[in-house]
Amino acid sequence: MSGGVHDMGGRREEFGPVDRTEHEVQDWERLADAVNYVLNAKGHKTTDEMRRAIEGLEGYREMGYYERWAAAAELLAVEKGLLTQREIDERAAALEKRWAGE
Amino acid sequence: MIRPAPAAKFRPGDAVRVLTTEKEGHVRTPAYVKGKRGEISHVLGTFPDPESLAYGGNGLPEKVLYRVVFRQADLWESYEGSTADALYVDVYEHWLEPAGEEG
Amino acid sequence: MSGNGHDGHPHEELRHESSPWAARIRAVEELLVEKGVFTHEEVRAQIEHTEARTHENGARLVARAWVDPEFKNLLLSDTKAACSELGIDASGPVELAVVENTERVHNLIVCTLCSCYPRPILGRPPDWYKSFAYRSRAVREPRAVMREFGLELPEGVEVVVHDSTADLRYMVLPARPPGAEGMSEEELAALVTRDSLIGVAIPREPARTQ
Repeated sequence: MSGGVHDMGGRREEFGPVDRTEHEVQDWERLADAVNYVLNAKGHKTTDEMRRAIEGLEGYREMGYYERWAAAAELLAVEKGLLTQREIDERAAALEKRWAGE
Repeated sequence: MIRPAPAAKFRPGDAVRVLTTEKEGHVRTPAYVKGKRGEISHVLGTFPDPESLAYGGNGLPEKVLYRVVFRQADLWESYEGSTADALYVDVYEHWLEPAGEEG
Repeated sequence: MSGNGHDGHPHEELRHESSPWAARIRAVEELLVEKGVFTHEEVRAQIEHTEARTHENGARLVARAWVDPEFKNLLLSDTKAACSELGIDASGPVELAVVENTERVHNLIVCTLCSCYPRPILGRPPDWYKSFAYRSRAVREPRAVMREFGLELPEGVEVVVHDSTADLRYMVLPARPPGAEGMSEEELAALVTRDSLIGVAIPREPARTQ
């Protein structure tokens, strides 16, 4: 039995008790969620493309849930030719700078 | 049945086995049922093929989707619980083969 | 409507966020708006749509099914039709299915491959539902997982796990708790917790007094 990093069924040795703490959903997480849904609704990508993108993330185990969603949205936006990696990097850096400076 | 599936190869009650194929890339068949014997519980309908959709394909030809029931005792060693405990997984037709007689 | 981080943004400030993905997803959103792929309004509407959907939809479906056998049959056989009967928007490409708990059978829902969840009727999934621990263990040792949630089932009850791997999203129709006779549909719906619709719990029992 094998499977990708996302294929969790039965791997109980790797994980302990279920942590039932709920974190408050943050604004950027709502955004990651919504961006993905709107891109799907407009036919720019499919749920299965997003799943595939998420499953392929190197940091799958280390990333937070919506970090994976954000990363998948970014990957697919570039893959589909909607955006370039460079413009995303530049805009993200500019935003970080602006948020840090205020 | 949720959507029509006129060309369904299996019917409720049929014994099936999940293929052990190690396919690279995106599939929706969890590893833990591969090679396991189960029974068709429901024919759910015909759906676009996720293995095509995942790479920008059009999902054609569509695949028949089944709800397959497994006995938990057949899936895991030393399963804790009743022998009647069961697990249902939705599996596409191209991942299933007839299982024939028990054993 | 340029990407200046103001007009029409669902939320204005993110500087307190710690994840580096906060800036990245905002950058993606702004750029996609600038390119005309979608508008801020569409994103904001989607966020509002998501926030508006909670497990209260599922609870209403269950309460109606408890008092109306015909509706229960519809809920089990054609979940989307049952939703529209109660004015719940379950349109969209995802199919919904409901599985019934009885005296003999208890159902538990999981998605081992990702986080498939019947959002139109249950809203956003809780963190634990998406956790690696739940996804890996719910299929392997469902009784142990349910015990962690405080639910101990008798040996005689058959535990049935549904791994929603494909095009369907599952909800549990829990059994009506004892002592709920004569309650209104609204009162019944208040007994139906989110966790009871996933199967890690059973509905609340009605208060004995009052």
